[in-house]
Amino acid sequence: MVPPVVVSPLIKTTRWSALLLGMIYGRQRFNYLKPIAEEERRIEEAEKAAREEQERIYKQLSEANADTILK
Amino acid sequence: MAQAVQRLVGKVPTLVNAAVTYSRPRLSTFWYYARVELVPPTPAEIRKAIEGATNLVKGYQSGRLAQTTVKDALRNGLVATEVLMWFYIGECIGKGGIVGYNV
Repeated sequence: MVPPVVVSPLIKTTRWSALLLGMIYGRQRFNYLKPIAEEERRIEEAEKAAREEQERIYKQLSEANADTILK
Repeated sequence: MAQAVQRLVGKVPTLVNAAVTYSRPRLSTFWYYARVELVPPTPAEIRKAIEGATNLVKGYQSGRLAQTTVKDALRNGLVATEVLMWFYIGECIGKGGIVGYNV
């Protein structure tokens, strides 16, 4: 087997500090995005209820107003 | 149905054994290389790394970096890309998922 390469210390430190920085960045961005997503979900649910109500009313009105001999 | 489930459950130990026997030599070669190449730096190596960084800056200022061959430049570019990818792996670990943020 090929003997393992001796990696230069600069490369080693930059690798592991990049890993650490990446973990910190990921965790911080997640914590930043989480409340925004919850807020959006809440707003979406409220709007969805209002929209479905509108659709129900519209459907009932259109059914009542439809002039057809098939009724 | 119950018999099929029983047969499946009976096969699980053999599957696990097969997986272990398959992966053991490969794991040992991985460990053999990783123990030298992938270990985190000791404090002495961190100091040498800072020296290496200042050497790089001095080399850039003195114009020595302009003398690198294309082959060396490509190789260094590949190494730098690999180091950059560790950042993204860290980000995946930090955000707790591989694709996207599961908020």
